[in-house]
Amino acid sequence: MKQREPPKSPCKIETELDKLSNLPAHVIDQILSQLPIKDAVRTSVLSKKWRYKWATIPHLVFDNLCVAISSQEQTLVKNKLVNIVDHVLLLHTGPIIKFKLSHRDLLGVSDIDRWILHISRSSIKEFILEIWKGQRYKVPSCLFSCQNLIHLELFNCLLKPPSTFKGFRNLKSLDLQHITLAQDVFENLISSCPMLERLTLMNFDGFTHLNIDAPNLQFFDIGGVFDDVNFENTFHLALVSIGLYVNVKTDQTAPGNSCKLLRFFVHLPHIRRLEIQSYFLKYLAVGNVPSRLPRPCADLNYLSVRINFNELEENLAALCLLRSSPNLQELEMLARPEEAGMGVLTNFWEVDHWNSMFSQLRIVKILGISGIRSELEFINFVLSNSPVLERMTIKPASPEGGWDLVKELLRFRRASVRAEIIYLDS
Amino acid sequence: MSEVEMAVIKPEMMKSYIWLQTADGAIQQVEQEVAMFCPLICHEVIHKGMGSSKNYAISLPQRVNPAMLSLILDYCRFHQVPGRSNKERKSFDEKFIRMDTKRLCELTSAADSLQLKPLVDLTSRALARIIEGKSPEEIREIFHLPDDLTEVSGACGNCVCLASQFPYVYNFNIDYILQEEKLEPLKNTTDDPRIRLLNRLYAKKRKELKEREKLKNVEVEEERVDERSVDDLLSFINGKERDSKVIKSSKNKKKHRRKKDQPKNTCSNEATKTHKQESNGLNLVCLSAEVGYKFRPDLGESSNVQNVEDDIFVRKVDFEDVDVDDEIDPALKEKIDREVEDFARRLNSDWPERMQEILSLGQDMRPLHHSINGNGTITKYAK
Repeated sequence: MKQREPPKSPCKIETELDKLSNLPAHVIDQILSQLPIKDAVRTSVLSKKWRYKWATIPHLVFDNLCVAISSQEQTLVKNKLVNIVDHVLLLHTGPIIKFKLSHRDLLGVSDIDRWILHISRSSIKEFILEIWKGQRYKVPSCLFSCQNLIHLELFNCLLKPPSTFKGFRNLKSLDLQHITLAQDVFENLISSCPMLERLTLMNFDGFTHLNIDAPNLQFFDIGGVFDDVNFENTFHLALVSIGLYVNVKTDQTAPGNSCKLLRFFVHLPHIRRLEIQSYFLKYLAVGNVPSRLPRPCADLNYLSVRINFNELEENLAALCLLRSSPNLQELEMLARPEEAGMGVLTNFWEVDHWNSMFSQLRIVKILGISGIRSELEFINFVLSNSPVLERMTIKPASPEGGWDLVKELLRFRRASVRAEIIYLDS
Repeated sequence: MSEVEMAVIKPEMMKSYIWLQTADGAIQQVEQEVAMFCPLICHEVIHKGMGSSKNYAISLPQRVNPAMLSLILDYCRFHQVPGRSNKERKSFDEKFIRMDTKRLCELTSAADSLQLKPLVDLTSRALARIIEGKSPEEIREIFHLPDDLTEVSGACGNCVCLASQFPYVYNFNIDYILQEEKLEPLKNTTDDPRIRLLNRLYAKKRKELKEREKLKNVEVEEERVDERSVDDLLSFINGKERDSKVIKSSKNKKKHRRKKDQPKNTCSNEATKTHKQESNGLNLVCLSAEVGYKFRPDLGESSNVQNVEDDIFVRKVDFEDVDVDDEIDPALKEKIDREVEDFARRLNSDWPERMQEILSLGQDMRPLHHSINGNGTITKYAK
């Protein structure tokens, strides 16, 4: 029911219709922060009020979206990008909370040094830098003085903090990929960030001993080449994913080496999800593997293991682990492609030893198998010991011999009446 | 039964309500668990003990009108139920957010005043999605934003310069660049043709400013300044949108008329054409920039000389083939002339003198020289 009102002047009507411009500044910041930087800055030409609304946005993200990729040559695109960042930083006012720079034509240049210096003066909390190409970019020392950092993500960088560096007091999340840093720098970095909750390390070099002393760590994801990994004080660590990309040297299997599997789990009492990738199982198998862990992993409900089913030590380690995880709900076994010269393992996974070992296991995936004896025995083993199994998914590495594999699978007895076996074509 | 008695009898079986009052005075009661989902209401209830009865209804902020309150309560009613899955919530949110942009803005404002952050996040994301990828006109139209950057007091070179770094700004409005006081060349590392034109324009203007100071032919010039400035102003005011398409077509279609005795006529023509966006799509000065780019750069001296001696040149962007000038009858002409003069006087008194000068300078660039023959047709002769 509209009341009759006197006709308004056009200005007045427009200001009444314009509900957007008068939203509070922090709300406009929030809206503009969710736009690509290009769109956010272009709002400056909308109207008088909008000229500088973009200038206070707390998140600055410069990525592949902000410079149109045309057929122009690389240096031109790079110059454009440098121009854009320079302009934006200069016209921006107010705190910069998040800064991300990730463009494929960006090389490690002195411009970045300058930008990081500017950023470091503005209480930045999230910093992401990805150098897609070229050599490792040496991060300037001013970055290490950003004590408000909560999340730091670097790709293809070289870290050499100044001697005065005492850690990031507030850092909760650290993501370093394709980075170089020295051993002592690494250890110092980890131990001097007491709030650290998430750590991701991929393809690192410069250090080979991973001594993780992080009392608040909850998430740990690494993939690379290392000699050993040791946890200390990591009682909250719940999600772990470790990939050792290089085969363990055989001289490490000499007797007298304490079991790495044991050492690994000592400081992980509350682990919930564990992924053992590449050759890490082989690493864990070094030393005398016990039949079960002294303390079971009561919280472990998801386990993913890359395993060579023909290798005895690995199977032993896997068995130990499986025996020590009474509450496992989801299991994934990935077969590592056959290595030449390996023996054949048989009769390892025998059925009737440990009844209802997997009392909670519901979902199983076994991928990349080639139909060898040991694999089939393992599948049989799982089927017979999982009373509440719902679904088992099997995927071969290649289509050859698939029919024979399926014929074998059909014969296996299942402890769970509800179990489905799903055979996926490779 | 009185309220007190009712409160005594099995209180745990009665649903408790919170009383809320919107800025228009209307009071309503809302289930407690729903209302408490809003942090502001929660604070009022817990820390100030408000909302328990009609007399102590919580006064909601002004930005929350009854319609918005109803929407917000719908949102709260759904989300305060703990058992819902993420998928359900997301699905509800997506349906909930479907409304026209005006309501969306009001909802954002209301949710913010109630400190209901999840809803603010949802609505601001929706607004961002609407803004993303659109041209300035589209955005202005959707949100009813005034296109007021053409005013003198408004712009500076900065936002435009920056916008030029993102070269897909549609309708890059050079108009307000020209108000940049310094006429300093913009750095053109991206080799944007518009910046190139602009720099040439600035160079020309600077040159002409100097020359104008030398040639002190006050009387004729002042009169002309007035006239031209009116034309310029009119077309300037109307010439907001400029498409690259329009530029191109203008290059082909423009006609320049040189009036001998009837400066006011041309003004009137401009006046009658003010409503036609197409025809006035180009600011005269812009056009000169385009043209200047195309033709010889030594326009400054020739045009000035021309100004002094010849008749009034009127710059017009004419996209129509009809020669309107010749068809206005004298009586109407006079009337229009008078109106235009009044208008000119009013405008001239408001606008800074400098602006007039600058705008009128645009007039002086005439790469194509036309003359009007006795019968009103135009002969174009290239130079």
